[in-house]
Amino acid sequence: MKKDNIENLIALSNDLRWQIGDDFHDNLTEGIYADAAEIVSAAVHKKDEKGKLRFDARIDKIITSRTWGFPLMFLVLATVLWLTIVGANYPSAFLGNILLDHIHPFLKTLATNIGFPIWLNGFLIDGVYLAVAWVVAVMLPPMAIFFPLFTLLEDFGYLPRVAFNLDNLFKRAGAHGKQALTMSMGFGCNAAGVVATRIIDSPRERLIAIITNNFSLCNGRWPTQILIATIFVGAVVPQSFSGIASLAAVIGIAVLGMGFMFLTSWALSKTVLKGEVSTFNLELPPYRPPRFWKTIYTSLIDRTLIVLWRAIVFAAPAGAVIWLISNLHIGDITIAAWTIDLFNPFGFLLGLNGVILLAYVVAIPANEIVIPTILMLTVLVTGISGGAGAGVMFEADSANATGDILRSGGWTLLTAINLMLFSLLHNPCSTTIYTIYKETKSVKWTVVASILPVIMGFVVTFLVAQIWRILA
Amino acid sequence: MDTLPKSACEACPQFNANGLKKLGINTTEFDFVVALAGNPNTGKSTVFNSLTGLKQHTGNWPGKTVTRAEGGFEYNNQKFKLVDLPGTYSLLSTSEDEEVARNFILFGKPSVTIIVVDASRLERNLNLVLQVLEITDRAVLCLNLIDEAERNNIEVDTRSLARDLGIPVVATSARYYRGIPELIQTVSDLANGRIHCKPHRIKNIPENIEKAVQKLSIELKKEFPEIPNSRWIAFRLLEGDRHIIELLRKGEFVI
Amino acid sequence: MYSPVWALSLFIGISILLFLLFRPEKGWFWAIRKSNINNQKIVIEDILKLLYHSENQDKILNINDITTSLNEPESNILESVNEMARHSLILIEGENVRLSESGSDYALRMVRAHRLWEKFLAEKTGFAESDWHHIAEKKEHELTDQDTDYLASVLGNPQFDPHGDPIPTKTGKVADIKGIALSDLDVNHLGRIIHIKDKPDIIYKQILAENIHIGSQVRVVEKDSNRIVFHCEGEAFKLAPIIAANITVSLLKKEYISEDNVARLSMLNENEYATIIGISKEMRGESRRRLLDLGFVKGANVKVDLLNPLGEPKAFLIKGTSIALRNNQASKILIKKD
Ligand SMILES: Nc1nc2c(ncn2[C@@H]2O[C@H](COP(=O)(O)OP(=O)(O)OP(=O)(O)O)[C@@H](O)[C@H]2O)c(=O)[nH]1
Ligand SMILES: [Mg+2]
Repeated sequence: MKKDNIENLIALSNDLRWQIGDDFHDNLTEGIYADAAEIVSAAVHKKDEKGKLRFDARIDKIITSRTWGFPLMFLVLATVLWLTIVGANYPSAFLGNILLDHIHPFLKTLATNIGFPIWLNGFLIDGVYLAVAWVVAVMLPPMAIFFPLFTLLEDFGYLPRVAFNLDNLFKRAGAHGKQALTMSMGFGCNAAGVVATRIIDSPRERLIAIITNNFSLCNGRWPTQILIATIFVGAVVPQSFSGIASLAAVIGIAVLGMGFMFLTSWALSKTVLKGEVSTFNLELPPYRPPRFWKTIYTSLIDRTLIVLWRAIVFAAPAGAVIWLISNLHIGDITIAAWTIDLFNPFGFLLGLNGVILLAYVVAIPANEIVIPTILMLTVLVTGISGGAGAGVMFEADSANATGDILRSGGWTLLTAINLMLFSLLHNPCSTTIYTIYKETKSVKWTVVASILPVIMGFVVTFLVAQIWRILA
Repeated sequence: MDTLPKSACEACPQFNANGLKKLGINTTEFDFVVALAGNPNTGKSTVFNSLTGLKQHTGNWPGKTVTRAEGGFEYNNQKFKLVDLPGTYSLLSTSEDEEVARNFILFGKPSVTIIVVDASRLERNLNLVLQVLEITDRAVLCLNLIDEAERNNIEVDTRSLARDLGIPVVATSARYYRGIPELIQTVSDLANGRIHCKPHRIKNIPENIEKAVQKLSIELKKEFPEIPNSRWIAFRLLEGDRHIIELLRKGEFVI
Repeated sequence: MYSPVWALSLFIGISILLFLLFRPEKGWFWAIRKSNINNQKIVIEDILKLLYHSENQDKILNINDITTSLNEPESNILESVNEMARHSLILIEGENVRLSESGSDYALRMVRAHRLWEKFLAEKTGFAESDWHHIAEKKEHELTDQDTDYLASVLGNPQFDPHGDPIPTKTGKVADIKGIALSDLDVNHLGRIIHIKDKPDIIYKQILAENIHIGSQVRVVEKDSNRIVFHCEGEAFKLAPIIAANITVSLLKKEYISEDNVARLSMLNENEYATIIGISKEMRGESRRRLLDLGFVKGANVKVDLLNPLGEPKAFLIKGTSIALRNNQASKILIKKD
């Protein structure tokens, strides 16, 4: 009985809707705004009719101007990166000194004294501890500088202006201007960037933003870029320019990433994700002077905790795996050496080597541990006595020493450049992959988002390697 | 029912600073659920942080928060669970980006809803406020960013607002903790039924829609005599909201 | 054995091959796959629709008409017609072909699916208006009855599709369109566009290119045997009568909007103020709602807040907030300059 009544009710609502016509929503919203206007006119008094502060208007004029808009954006990016690269050196050296040069030997002796068996000693302290320590020493300082700077810009209100300036490019690529915002979040962490795509309200453009977020260098990859650029790119120019050259190389890779982001968005929206952009509306908030010290303080504390947590969750088991594969044997050789031999020919074709490829397989859980893994594996295959023994992940004392180890592993400028490219173009880390799955709820798109960048990485490094060799 | 809410600080008992405890993410047992609704970038997460002591990310752009976050605080021995929501422009739309917020405000059964608005852009923000007031009668208007309004030479008469909207209004500047004590006190008063609201109902509706709404409302009341906001459901039925139609069919009303 | 030149050539070769195989639409892979799909169902459904539309215009078709109107090999069509007769979807009377009752039902279901999908494309996606018909033409064959019912409920059981054609209900009811052709509207009379025929394609594309769309108000200002001149949303249009005949209007008694000074928001210059008089009907669904919610309602004041280094989007100041919109959206907001 009741069921019928409800069906009647729904039928009645359908009839009424047809009578009212499709102006219903317009009329209702207009009605609400009319009420709002009445209420506001009674309650709000403006002393002067200026809609916007003069100060705000003036900043906006410059930030979005034809002449200054784009150079300013570039300058801001360069400044943030420069401060990060230069500023991170000192705390990194300091932390490396304490965690790796002092605490590590101390723990080793302690474990021996307590009477740990050799394998447990190696596994826990050379594997797990060193992985965590390396991540803390190398990852933490750049992030502790990068994030507060980024948060300051964010609090000031700069990000929406970037999206505003860049939207036309996104439009031409068939994407949504708010992708600029999610891309910026990706510079911190791709998983966060993927979640942030929820602000894009149409599914097609959102999917594009999710798939291409990986082209934003995340904090796990900045240190790799910075380190390799310093060692190899900085070395080919005269000493006094080496800082600038390595900065330029890192910025170049970041900008290249954006280029790939546009290219991939465009290709996707011309093929599998066809369609026009449906809507774009972006609110530009007023500028708000950030609370400088508070922002610095909170983003520092905040990030430190997150980084430590991630280091423990991901780097530790990966460190253990590294120790295992370089200490377990297949026949005469270790699993690590065996796999490296297997990967070497393919690596050579890409201008990389087996060590790098294996490192990327091991480092799927976290990009942060790519470099220490590479170092450790290089020592393993070359047999030089740089590190502390098989399966010990270490930070070489200085960039120079790191460079020496790598060069003795057969590295050239080409290897370095291709590593930087491959670090930009490879699969997202496991957290990001999982996040993509949660957000899209689709295995298909998760696979596409994970595989596509690797394929692009292979193609790009392959091409660079062949052309390099032909020209050289 | 008829006690008109006044501006919070005058009407309510004094704020008891000793009775406040920030509980962080510890929200296992609680007496009341409080939702934070509002347009994007009005300071919801900032209010949330100052009440719970947590560190939800805030940022000066609309869309910073995209997922629901929960935290708690205790006031005068009662535990409140606070829910920070993504910003939303309207409850009438069906767009995906606003789904999380819309669903919680409509179906999450909050004991009290704090509607956070930007004091300098009140008219635009009232669009959402008036919609929320169609649904609930336990709400408080948090007139945030009042420092900015002052800088812009905008004066807001909270008494007149409270009278017109029929709910308590608290002026705050969440970033500097201004007005937050009054807000806590008002929320507690609302939750415990010490303040009664008489929320504004939308008046300027074209005649043909008003008629249709009334017709539907009457039918709805016949079927479900106990529901408080038949008018809102009528609006949604006219819009053809599938969610509401399904709920009707199932005969369960969460709102 | 390895040489970079050799590797590079091999790579280029493979790339070209992959391109030829998989390039969109024309790739060999797609072509092979397409030819393998059994398309008798599609042909049958197309014939049903053809018959339905003709019978609606009181035209009876014969088999010859069908083979010439459909872009399919004759043998396929004849086979399908036989198949249809066997399932008594059609009645064959000599040369003439008519729909049976069950055939009519089937055709109505197809029309319903087609128009609902067009409505869906208009409301929920960003596909260009000129693509809707073609996409729906493919999609209608894939939708089951459950799909269409679900679609209808998602869209709020709409009565008309975006061209103004009625959408048959589940039970087969079809609403009438009451109106006259634009070519029959007298000078200085007002009408509202309620229907634009989406066939033939050339004429439809021409109308779309003029930016004329359903729901807008028109006023004829001049008319002779060669052309009709009319005002619509602040612009003057000239159309040949045969094109205007494809547009149906309903007569309006009084003018809702005074049309003087009407412009589009995209045409607003810096430092000018304007009042919004409405959002064009071409702006639909979610996007329309969002604009309304952002405060672009009748009577609101706007001005340009920020120009863009790349030309668009521009930011507009509305109800105290700066909102950036792309030109194609701003051009659908009608304003009156102050
Ligand atoms: N001056 C001033 N700034 C404030 C105040 N409250 C918040 N803000 C700033 O306003 C910006 C937005 O605050 P949020 O708390 O992130 O806003 P939200 O409502 O959570 O925004 P969404 O999550 O995007 O919906 C931040 O930069 C805050 O620092 C205030 O009372 N005064
Ligand atoms: Mg927030």
